[in-house]
Formats: sequence, C-alpha cells, structure tokens
Amino acid sequence: MKFDIIIIGGGLSGLTAGIALAEAGKDVALVSAGQSSLHFGSGSLDLLGCDEKGNDIYKPLDAIKAVNSKHQYNKLEDVSSLAGVAKQLLERAGIATTGNITSNHWRITPIGGLMPTWLSMEGMATIEDPDQMPWRKVALVNIINYLDFPTKFLASGLRDKGVEVDVKAVSLPELQKLRQSPTEMRSSNIAKVIESNELIVKLAEEVYKVAGEGYDMVLLPAVLGMTNSEKSQQLLKLIKVPARYVATLPPSVPGVRMQTMLRKRFTALGGTFFTGDQVTEGLFEDNILKGVKTAKLDGTTLEADNFILATGSFMSRGLKADYNRVYEPALGVDVDDLGLDRKTWAKIDVTDAQPYMEMGVKTDENLRCMRNGTTISNLFAVGSILSGHNSIKRLDAGGVDMLTALQVANNIIK
Amino acid sequence: MTTVNNNHYDVIVIGGGITGAGTARDCAMRGLKVLLVERHDFSTGATGRNHGLMHSGARYAVTDHESAKECIQENMILRKIAKHCVEETDGLFITLPEDDINFQATFVQKCTEAGISAEIIDPKQAILMEPSVNPELIGAVKVPDASIDPFRLTMANVLDAQLHGAEVLVYHEVIDVIIEQDRMVGVKLRNNHNGETLDAYATVTVNAAGIWGALIAQMAGVKINMFPAKGSLLIFGHRVNHMVINRCRKPANADILVPDDAVCVIGTTSLRIPIEECDDMRVTPEEVEELLAEGMKLAPSLGSTRILRGYAGVRPLVASDDDPSGRSISRGIVTLDHEKRDGLAGFITITGGKMMTYRLMAEEVTNLVCQKLNINKSCETATTPLPGSEPKEETKRFSFSQKAAQGRHGTLNDTIERGEAANDALVCECEGVSVGEVRYAVTKLHVHNLINLRRRTRVGMGTCQGELCACRAAGVMCNDDKSAQKAINDLNGFINERWKGMQPVAWGDNLAEAQLTATIYQSLLGVDKLANERRIEYYEI
Amino acid sequence: MANETQTQNVSVNNFEQCLKCSICTVYCPVSAVSPEYPGPKQAGPDAERYRMKNKEFFDDALKMCLNCKRCEVACPNDVHIGDIIQAARIKYNTHRPKLRDMMLANTDFVGTMASPFAAIANPILKLKPMKAILHGVMAIDKHRTFPDYSSRKFESWFKKNAASEQDKFNKHVSYFHGCYVNYNYPQLGIDFVKVMNAVGYGVHLLEKEKCCGVALIANGMPKQAKRQGEVNMTSMRKAIANGHQVLTTSSTCTFTMRDEYDHLLGIDNHDVRDSISLATRFLFQLIEKGEIKLAFREDYHKRVAYHSACHMERMGWVPYSTQLLRMILGIDFVMLESQCCGISGTYGFKKENYERSQAIGKGLFDQIKEVNPDYVATDCETCKWQIEMSAGTPVMNPISIIAEALDIEATRKLNNLD
Repeated sequence: MKFDIIIIGGGLSGLTAGIALAEAGKDVALVSAGQSSLHFGSGSLDLLGCDEKGNDIYKPLDAIKAVNSKHQYNKLEDVSSLAGVAKQLLERAGIATTGNITSNHWRITPIGGLMPTWLSMEGMATIEDPDQMPWRKVALVNIINYLDFPTKFLASGLRDKGVEVDVKAVSLPELQKLRQSPTEMRSSNIAKVIESNELIVKLAEEVYKVAGEGYDMVLLPAVLGMTNSEKSQQLLKLIKVPARYVATLPPSVPGVRMQTMLRKRFTALGGTFFTGDQVTEGLFEDNILKGVKTAKLDGTTLEADNFILATGSFMSRGLKADYNRVYEPALGVDVDDLGLDRKTWAKIDVTDAQPYMEMGVKTDENLRCMRNGTTISNLFAVGSILSGHNSIKRLDAGGVDMLTALQVANNIIK
Repeated sequence: MTTVNNNHYDVIVIGGGITGAGTARDCAMRGLKVLLVERHDFSTGATGRNHGLMHSGARYAVTDHESAKECIQENMILRKIAKHCVEETDGLFITLPEDDINFQATFVQKCTEAGISAEIIDPKQAILMEPSVNPELIGAVKVPDASIDPFRLTMANVLDAQLHGAEVLVYHEVIDVIIEQDRMVGVKLRNNHNGETLDAYATVTVNAAGIWGALIAQMAGVKINMFPAKGSLLIFGHRVNHMVINRCRKPANADILVPDDAVCVIGTTSLRIPIEECDDMRVTPEEVEELLAEGMKLAPSLGSTRILRGYAGVRPLVASDDDPSGRSISRGIVTLDHEKRDGLAGFITITGGKMMTYRLMAEEVTNLVCQKLNINKSCETATTPLPGSEPKEETKRFSFSQKAAQGRHGTLNDTIERGEAANDALVCECEGVSVGEVRYAVTKLHVHNLINLRRRTRVGMGTCQGELCACRAAGVMCNDDKSAQKAINDLNGFINERWKGMQPVAWGDNLAEAQLTATIYQSLLGVDKLANERRIEYYEI
Repeated sequence: MANETQTQNVSVNNFEQCLKCSICTVYCPVSAVSPEYPGPKQAGPDAERYRMKNKEFFDDALKMCLNCKRCEVACPNDVHIGDIIQAARIKYNTHRPKLRDMMLANTDFVGTMASPFAAIANPILKLKPMKAILHGVMAIDKHRTFPDYSSRKFESWFKKNAASEQDKFNKHVSYFHGCYVNYNYPQLGIDFVKVMNAVGYGVHLLEKEKCCGVALIANGMPKQAKRQGEVNMTSMRKAIANGHQVLTTSSTCTFTMRDEYDHLLGIDNHDVRDSISLATRFLFQLIEKGEIKLAFREDYHKRVAYHSACHMERMGWVPYSTQLLRMILGIDFVMLESQCCGISGTYGFKKENYERSQAIGKGLFDQIKEVNPDYVATDCETCKWQIEMSAGTPVMNPISIIAEALDIEATRKLNNLD
C-alpha cells in the first residue's frame, strides 16, 4: 500500500503530525502498536514547567530560548507560532483548551500539588498564579469507594495553600454496581457507566446535595467523557455552582478522550489507521526509506514518500534497553545513549535526573533520523523518542510531542 | 526519663529478626514476662534478606554434619507448626557436566547419615519433574527442600509471643545498656519515630540482634568477633521453577534457585564487608553478572526472564571463641553466656545459626534464660502451631484476593473484614491485596508505613513494584488530614525504596516500568515535589 | 551464551511484558457492564503469575471474557492478554460444557441437522413457544432471532451450479466457506464465486471442511476444536500443494485458523498459515500488484459505514477491506469508531449474556443510527446478526458489496477474460 506519508506511532506526537499533514491534503497512514501514554495524562499538556534546578517556570518562552543545546526545542523555527497552531489543531479536533505559551498556568495534581503547564482541557481545574489561590472554600467530591482519587492528600495539599476544604462523597446505585468488582471501579469504567443524560442529571443532583451551598469551587475526579467532552461539560453546568475536574490516577479519562478525538479527527480527514500493528523492518535504499514491513501485514509493504517515527520512549517501546545496549527496535536508527553503559544508565536516587530519560534517537537539525551515522533524507522523528530532554524533570512532554510533530509536518510540506 | 510501663521484665529480647521473635515467643510460652525491642521493623536484617529457602540440610550434609542434622529436624517441625509460611516444593541437587559426578554418591551418603531423605533421580525424570532445569544435567538428587516466607514466619512468632503476654516495641533502638555492678539490668531505648528515650529493666537481656549484636555487646563492654558476609540475590518476575534447584557440589556462589510466592530468587554472592557497611548495602553490577551467569546454569531460562529487583543481606558469621583470629568460622548456633564468658551477669547473646534453625536457637537460649531465672518449664514451640497454622478447617475462598490472603495469613485470613465492596476493593492488583487486608495489617501487625505494609502483605512486591498500589495504600492508611504530609513523605520514600532494588537491574521491561512509574508519581502526581523529607534510611530498603 | 543474556524477556503469551499500565481495562467491553468479570488485566497477566504458582487461583468468571481481543489490540506492550485468559480456561477449567453450549458450539452439526428442514426449522425457531423453550430449558435468550437456516446449503448450490465451470480458469483458489455461508447465508458464497470468477480465478472447495472451531473454543470444548482443526489443516495442505491460496469471507474463521490454532489449541499451522487469507485482502493485494482490475457500475450509489469486527482488528487487516471498498467510486464511505458489537459469536446468544451483550454494543448501534447508512459493511457474520437485530440496518460483507457494485462484463474485459 502506498501513501504520501506513513507515521509510526499513534500517540499525541504521531496524531498531531498525522492531522497536520492530512489537513494539508496529504494521504497519511498511521501504524500504531497499541494505545499511547496519553492514558497516563493529567488532562493538561506541559510545555516547559521546570528549570534545571526544578523551580517552576512562569514565562516559558524565555525559558525555551535558554534550554541547553541538546534540547529539541532548538530545532523549532518559530515556537510561538507552532504553539498557536497546536492549540488550533486541538480545537479543530473538538478539544478546547485554556492556556497559552506566554505564561504557564498550574494544574492541580491528584495528590494536591501544583504543576506548571501549558494547555489544559476544558473543565480541568487550573490556577493562574500558584502563590494566590483563587478559592476560599472548596468542596472536594469523590465517588464513594473510588480509590484512584486520593482526596485526603488533595485536601491536605489545598489546605496547605490556605484553602478551606471539605471532603464529600456521592454515589449512584449504577456506580456501586461497579464496586462489586474488586478491581474494575476504574475511571474509564465509571465514564462508561455515566453515559446517559439521566445519570448525569442524577449525579449532578447528588453533588449539589452535598456541595451546593457555601462553596466557591467544587472539585470532582475527571472520570467523565471518554469519547467527547459533551458529558463532562454537561455535568459541570448542571451542578449550578462553579465546578471543575482534577486528574485521577491512570487510566486518565481526559487523556483517553484526547486520544479518541484526535484519532477520530485523523480518520475523518481520510487518514488510514493500522491498529495494533508493529513496524518490524525498514526497507532502506541508499539514504532513503522506501517502505516498512509490519508484524501483521505479512506480504504487504507500506510505502510512502516520507516517514515519521513517533513511537515514544522506553515505556511506549519506542526505545528498548537490554543487558547490552539501548536501541530503536522498529527501524534500527541511531540512538544517542549518552555514551553510557548499563551500569550508569540509572542513578541510585529515583528523584535524581535519570540519564536514561534523556536517551533517544539522534536527529539532524531538520529532525531527520540517522542510520549508521548517515542522515535518512525522508525519515523524521517526533515526540518522546527524541533525545536530549527529560520530560519528568523539565515537564515538557506535551510541548515536545506537539511542537516537534508540527515542525516536521512543516518540514515535509515544504 | 520514663521506663516502659514502670515495669520490670523477666527478659528483654533485642532484635526483631526471626531469632528475636522466636526467642520472645519461647520465653513468653514458658510464662516469662517479655519485652521484645526492634530498632526498625521486623525482619529488616538477614531474616528478610535471604532466599526464603527452607533447607532440608542437604546443602550442609557434606561439610557440616551437625548443621545438616539440625536443619532436617527443624524442617520437619516447621512443616507442622508454620504450614502457612511453608510451601512444600521439594528440591533438586543437580550435577552439571562441569561438576564431579562422583560427589553425588558422597552427597547422598552424607544426607542419609544426617537423616535427610536423598533420592537419586534419572536426569530425564528430573527434567519431567522440573522442566526449567538445565537439560544438560548429568545427575539429580531429590531432597525435602521447601520454600518458606521469612516475613510471615517472623510475624507469626511475634503474634504468638504477644498472645502469651509479651510486649513488643518496634522502632525502638537500644542506645545503651544499663549495668549495675557486674550485672546488666536493662537497656536505654530511643524511639526512632520521635527521638524520645526510655529505660527498660529486666533480669536477663538477650542479644538477638544479628550482625548488629556485635555493637550491642560493645555497649556492654564485651567483644564478639563477628564477620559480616554480604550476600546478593536477584528476584525474577514469576516462577521459573516449582522445585528448589541447587548444585550438587560443595556450596558456592549463586547456586540456589528458590520458588517464593509468585516469584523466584537466585543467590547468593558472598563477600566479607566491614560492619559499618551493613547499614547500606547495594547490589553491584559485578554481582548481578555473577548471579545471572551462575543462575543460568541452574535454569537457562533465567537468561530471558524479567528480573524485578536485586537485594543484599548480611550473614552474621561468628568466629569461634577459641580462635579469635576469625579464621575458624562457626556456621552453627552460638550461645554466649556472658556471665560465664565475660563475668557480666544478666546478658546472653544468641547468634550464628541460620533462619532454618531459629526455633532451636530460641529453645537453647530460652533454656539458658530459664535456668538463670530458676524456672523449670519445658519448651513447647516444636509442637504448638503458630497463629495462622492451627489445624482448622480452611474456609473455602473464591476470589483472587481471598486466596492470595489465605496464603499470607493462613487461618488468620478469617479475621480480615470482607463482604462489603469497600473492604474487598483491591489496593495492589499484582498481589491481590484488598483494602480489608491493608486495614487488618495496620491494626494488627505493627504497620507504621508502606514498607512495613509491604512486608506484611506483599503490597508493591509484584511486577510493577508499586505503580498504582502505593498511592492507593497510602490513601487507605492515611487516617486523618494531619497525617497527610507524613503519608506523602512515606509514599515518596516507598517509591524510592522500590527503585533501589530495580536500579541494579534497570534494563528491558524493568526500565520501561521505571519510566512509567516515574511518569505517574513525578509528572502526574508530583510526589517528589510535595514530599518534604527525601532521605530514606537503609533499614527501610 | 553471554551475549544472549537478558536480551529478551520470554514468557508465555508475553504476560511478563505487562507494565500494569491498565490501558487494556479501558477497552474491555465486558468489565464495565459486568462487575463479576475481573477485567483483562486482573484475569490475564495479574492472575497468571498466581495460577503458575497454584491452579487453585483459576477463577470461573474467566468464561465471561468475550475473546474479542480488544485488550490485545490496545496493549502497547504486545501482551497477548486474551490468549492468556483463553489458555487459562482451556488449561484449568474443570466444568463440563452444558448441552446448550454444546449445541451452540457445534455450528456445523446443528446446521447439518437444520438445513434439510429449514422450511420447518426457521418458523419453529421463531415461534414464541419454541423461543420460550430455548430460553427456559436451553438458556438461549428469547430476544435472539436464530439466523435463518438456508433451505439449500452453499455446498449443494456450488456442486450444482458452479463446480463444473471452475476448471476453465487459469488461476485457482480454494474457498473455506465456513458454517455461516454453508447453512445460513449461501448468498455470500455465491457472491464470492461471482467476484473471483470475474477476475479470472476458479474457486474450489476443500476436500473436507469442518467448522473452524471458534465456537468450540469459546464454549470450553478445545479437544473437539483441535480435532476439527487438524482436519482443516490436512485439507488445506492438499489445496496448498495444488498451488491454491485458501480464502475465506469470515474474519473470525481466518483469525481462528491462522492464530488461535497455534496459540490456543497447539495445532502446528506454520506451513499453512501464510496461505490462509481473507478474500478482501487477497483481492487488494492482486490489485496493488496490477494483476487484476475491478470495474464498477456507474449507477451504483450507496452510503456504506464500515464496522471493524474485533478479530479483524486483532489481525490488523481492517485497511485491506476499507481500501478495497473505497475503490468503489459510488460509495459514500464512513468509518465507524471501532468498538465491539457485543455478540462475540455464540456469547450473546446465551440467556445470561443477553443484556450484557446489548449493553456492550449500544454505543455502536447509536453511532450507526446517527450515520444512517444504506449498509453497514463488516467482515464478520456474527456482527451481522447483532447489528441487523439491534440497529435495524442491513449488514453486508464487503465481498457482497463488491459483487453488487461490480460491472461484470467490464471487469472480465479488463482482466482479458473474453
């Protein structure tokens, strides 16, 4: 099968590139080996949250200019403009966000921390200024017996910042049916149960009963709306007092929603999605990638003019490490392992900056991959598989994913 | 300065390892008034850092007849009194082409002499019995080795001691001994949680502090020649083998592979270290390499099995008193009556030995204590089942977590609250630990933090090493808002403690797992930023 | 040996590659509607470690797994979660299947019995008292309409109307028609023969064809499934020796014979696997190579919504069918969001599963009603029953749509057959 562009990897970076290229009229196929790390997301995308010392960044644009020379942000032509395009791309996919590139805002973590971020999905609780909490009195309303929303920590975190907090819990018989399972009262299953208008109305009534009066904010676990934002927005409206969502432990319902809506947008634009398949081999001729073979399409080669590698880092299997080496398993492109051997990949304290986090594929200034030291002219890499950044320490995963994807889309369209 | 309950004890036992717990149990069962003190948590020393192997004694049969005999006797006793801690797996001693097959005949003969049943098995038959074994083996002997859970065993001894009236103080460290004239009359304790100190008095003090017993003795002005030997081990993600696999040769490094619970463990290395290093041991890359290379000779599939973590323990080896140079090391039980040996009455050290013989050690030292107290009561620990192992019809269990908890708590499983959805919800999905089990452990089993909880219930010991369960468990354990910050610190410490074991084997799926866990705890939750105490102590590892 | 140390993580069905990320639980169609089911993560890799320790850890609730494999498709770590669960059922389940399950599982036996009496059987199976008996005694849900048994088996049609024509062609394929085409819906087989003949391929039946066994596996009869599978493998080896590819028009039969035979039943199919293909895939590949061409009627205009059947999704072959359908210019093509319809073969027929089955498929039915197509296209026959019953839209196999849209004369010309 032949396409203009084939993207390997169906997470945030792959879908961003896919949508941008499909919007530009290209025939794009995407090969995805399972679901992405959006499922562990916060409902927000971080751009650059912390400096080298771990302090919060307020004005990310200045900080982006100052990132070290290995960071992929150096390969972006115009960060501000790409960031604007990213926000619009999400919007066209039906994903409304708040936030912009000039100032970070802060998301509330499930255990009550505040983390600097760039774009937050509509309905998520955010703070403009971490030193000044906008609420005096908050009701924290969990679903009874739901374990993945640690209200005690969240309450304590907010109280530390001077907010008065009451912890409440509500339920519906339909939800307690889920809890009959020792394991399956998960965010995503709650979202599947609360689907009908009738149940949303009922849930809103229950919330209003315990938190209707006297609170200037009601915070709820983000467990509604896996396929679109309609249901989650409807609940907020029905509660009648200001209400917002806070992320839960995985699976992340807002993350699943983002994944689903981006994929839907990509398919609606005519993109072809190869689901649950793995690229096993690249067919290289000179310095050009002609096609790829996959595990399931035996006998069929997927051909394209350009290819994009968007398979993520170790946890997404875009990179692999074994006893002897770190490598890129799909196409065998060159990896920057920082010149370290196994004994030094990881440091003893988990909170130290871990060297392995910064490993990734090597790319040239146009984000093109290399093989045996030679640049492959039509193979690009985007997102977390890129070397040179530690998204855990710097909080830059969302930005690296979307902005490098858009940059590569531009590079290809040019 | 306060004293404990303003009371005077018959005996204070120092050390919450298996020896101390067993001694406290025996003393309490003989009607003594007992105080058991432990500076950290139970089984944080050698007890919690070995193979979990219930030796048949075969390993020692050729080199140490006495130990072998003790082992097999205790092995048979533990099967009866601690059946919920034991899994009767049997073991193989295999001969590989590089080993001397003639050793096998000597081995079988020596086993038989020690009373250990040792049956020569045809290599082909051995492969059928244990498919993971190296198919190149040229000989195999079947012995009654088994798998035993040291955490459960220790806890069961503590519980029984308490049932017989013993008092127990964890996180209480002996910072000095109280000596009046030529008699030790008590100890000074520091509460390691709040720093407060207190005194406790007893007619006899038993030093059962393992390798750290040398330091206790030092406080009392007596010298014990201890030689700490570090042993490192690796835990694999699932059971490769169902029988214990040993090498049929003189004991050497990394030649035992034990199936423990849902995992298997290869070990150990052996390295003499200075006593100061016992408080902070790490598995080195060289040790990992040796363990893997040797382990693959027992079961080749270890070379392609996921490794969950590495850990290291320290054997308290004692130099025989008649040889202060330390060249002659006793692996047997060493009971030092300091009244006789050093002229210090009221002080006894019990050391040497091995986990297998803890009960016998406890019996010996308790006999001596009773003699000093002029009490004439015989030992019943060999015939009385431990709590959890009473002969009782087992309640039929259906759910995954109920079955898993049955394995952990035996008959005490019935006391876990169940039936309501809120109690049955799983905190740890890998190991099937329910909210009810967490609550049970917190109220009944001296749980002060997540690491204690892990030792009691296996929370966070599965393949993901705490990825979701740590946060859930911290939430269940946190009772009020005031303790939320402490719980966050605890959570941060727990994640780091899990990482300490993963770091030496951080490649493959383990590295992917580590990155996912870091993404959840650091990027999503921000636990490292919220924690205001970052340092964790070695004993928590 | 040294350089092989720890370069791979080998475990049965990759269960130990599981990172416990819980993504699979998001895509399980069962766990949200039935709390009695432990969900894919717990039933699969979590419990597997304990089952390896002690078979007592087997949980009978595993039979609630649909075997849709959506967990496997979602898993980023290539853990064969569905296989772990099904393999555990095969290995540890001690219950004997019920009469009802045996009846549902033996699709070809029951088909053989019913077909000669189709005129009697169909009305009887639809009568209220009969349904009440099925519901009450057999525990087959009364809401279910049994697929009609055709009065004439496909095999009979083929022998009478097509067999003699097939040797005239230069190129040949063998056709594994499956139980559904043979007993319930011969038209799909007729459509298949029409399309293949139009592009110059003669169609042949296998020497001996048995039900692929998917229903036997699902109903706890792996031994019988294995026996039938061996028969199919023997027939296919003969066909392959004659240079034939073996084509099917059912994604589930294809998936079962290519993947489940080896993974679950321990049938060695490595020499046959690559020669078993789905008709749409076969056609697409020939078109891509330029070996055949299709011409479609200019007056053909239909709105077609494609539903990705679970096993089609698992095979990763959805694009073959959709790309083929998109070649028909008169089709207004809509891709439905991929989700399980809830029937999963015989699963939805059982009384205890009916409500669950409908709840699982609800999102899909709503989507279809919203899109309002002329046809839903899908490669799976049991999805067809479920969707037609629940959404009311006619469902067609892509091959039948191609047959309907095909300009036979023009196609024959393009392929130089006249």
